[in-house]
Amino acid sequence: MSDQHSNDGWADKKGFRNAFLAILVLAALAAAIAGFIPSFRKEHPHFEIEKFGAFFALYGFAAFMFIVLVGQHLRRLVARKETYYEERE
Amino acid sequence: MDANSLLSALAINPAIILMIGAALGVFLPNGLRRLFMLVFVGVSAFELNRLGLGNYGHLEIFGNPVTMLRIDPLARLFAIVFHIAAALNLVYNFRSKDRLQDFATLAYPASALGGVLAGDLVTLFVWWEIAAITSVFLVWAPGGRSTYLAGMRYLTIQILSGVLLLAGVVMVFRETGSLAFGEIGLRDADGAIKFSGLVILLAFGIKSAFPLLHNWVQDSYPKADFAGTIVLSVFTTKLAVASIARAFPGTPELVPIGIVMTIFPIFFALIENDLKKVLCYSINNQVGFMIVGIGFGTAASMNGAVGYAFTNIIFESLLFMGVGAAIYRTGTSKATELGGLYRTMPFTMVFTTIGALSISAFPGFAGFVTKGLIVDAAGGAHAFWIWLALLFASAGVLEHAGIKIPYFTFFAHDSGKRPKEAPPEMLLAMGISAFLCIAIGVYPEPLFALLPYPAAIADYHPYEAAHVVEQLQLLLWAVLAFAVLIIIKWYPAEIASTNLDTDWFYRVPGRNLATWIAGATRGVWNYAWSIVDQRFTAAMDRIYAVHGPEGAMARSWPTGFMALAVAIILGLVLIVVFTA
Repeated sequence: MSDQHSNDGWADKKGFRNAFLAILVLAALAAAIAGFIPSFRKEHPHFEIEKFGAFFALYGFAAFMFIVLVGQHLRRLVARKETYYEERE
Repeated sequence: MDANSLLSALAINPAIILMIGAALGVFLPNGLRRLFMLVFVGVSAFELNRLGLGNYGHLEIFGNPVTMLRIDPLARLFAIVFHIAAALNLVYNFRSKDRLQDFATLAYPASALGGVLAGDLVTLFVWWEIAAITSVFLVWAPGGRSTYLAGMRYLTIQILSGVLLLAGVVMVFRETGSLAFGEIGLRDADGAIKFSGLVILLAFGIKSAFPLLHNWVQDSYPKADFAGTIVLSVFTTKLAVASIARAFPGTPELVPIGIVMTIFPIFFALIENDLKKVLCYSINNQVGFMIVGIGFGTAASMNGAVGYAFTNIIFESLLFMGVGAAIYRTGTSKATELGGLYRTMPFTMVFTTIGALSISAFPGFAGFVTKGLIVDAAGGAHAFWIWLALLFASAGVLEHAGIKIPYFTFFAHDSGKRPKEAPPEMLLAMGISAFLCIAIGVYPEPLFALLPYPAAIADYHPYEAAHVVEQLQLLLWAVLAFAVLIIIKWYPAEIASTNLDTDWFYRVPGRNLATWIAGATRGVWNYAWSIVDQRFTAAMDRIYAVHGPEGAMARSWPTGFMALAVAIILGLVLIVVFTA
């Protein structure tokens, strides 16, 4: 197995990771910029906040951060050892 | 109701056709069994198509008309996707050697199909209960004590839902004098809550896993084996969604319920290590979107809710299949024990990623074309906070289903496991599902043509530039947030743990209380019995002492005593006669 471990797959290669990240950043920026182009915007937005071209980008970023950074603390409240129920049933 | 009309009503029912296929298929040998069942799925689909829209199977129960088979646009939509799912499930685990599980793999979808096609509440109730009973065999299939206990809990909750439904049916019949299954509503004409509506909504709410009633999903579904969980993931909750869509469209109370459903599972899924359970939380979250759509009750949002149910069945199953293939090859669904499988399971990885992109509602995939209808409904109603919550929940879907499932299964840290690619039949089922995800995503018109409110979909264009840009902003920037968290190592590591949820209340304190009540009842009974026993024994002793062989009443008395007694009696008679 050890020789297999040393063979990094394509997704573990630095080149792939950098390329993936670069494409992601470019695509994200492109989407954010597109939000400011009038023909890519709703004619009749439902809410004032939608009028800001990058609202969805910022909200998506913030929501994801919130979910992960705040949500992980739920463990303190509900996490128990794996055999919790087996020991009680 | 005579036997002939009953038989002819049953013979044309696609659900009965599937049920017969399941019952007969059990007797066939491995290999042939599932092929035979697949033929029956084909025959059932053919029959569904042949019949077309309409009401069939009219019967009378105690003088009340019932419609065992109603094919309207709502029922047809669910019936079609149930057939697709049933067929894919049979293909996925084609080499199964478990007769009982094979039976349940078709009989359970058959009963869910019967439920969505039911035109009256009695027929719905019957299929509702059969679905509960047939599906528990999938939970029990792997065997073992914890599986048995989970199955019993599952069955108890499902039957409770059925009992509530029956009670609701009786109440509705008393109020309306009809057994027809149509819009019931939660409130009467005066705006007061109807008890009948409340009871039926509770029955449907249990099966669709409303918040606080949801945890039977996480408790039971992951106990089934790698293939059984996929079957379970499709039918019960979607039968409930179809029933809610029919009975409670435009019920505003459903909107906050749905919102809670979309949001709370996100946090539980984040910290969950078992990827099967992550997907179970995903079921809750996804059904939440459908419930919100039904709650708004506009033609567009109803289209969105049921259209999303259609696509969700395909991509949620695909995710379960991908994780199932990993379990089949590695024996585990724990994120801590998986990772790096993309090296040797590339096709499974690609198909699962397509499922992940679909559930995240990336443009070009199935989720995108229907989810927008639900989010737009909130916008159209100017419900700002609901709209924000739905967007937040969409970012949450991306986190746990779009990223966590494929990332921790196929990428993340290298687990060192180098399993073989999934078997061909699994790849075939996953490949067809992935194809459907893309096909519906790029060409949604055939799905749109099936939606129950065609007029409302006519002017809906999911690929409007603004919609695409907004969705890409939301999703790409959320992925960017994930990348940032990974790079700065702030994304929380997976931890092997059991996370308590609402099932804790009945599995620990509830169980302790039940044990205590049983012990206390036994103690009280024993004490009460001992008192009765003592009194009874004492009374018997006294009777025995008087009437027994040694008792006073058993003594033989002398003749002189008798003569004296007679003399006394005669004396008394003399006095009475003399004085009278």
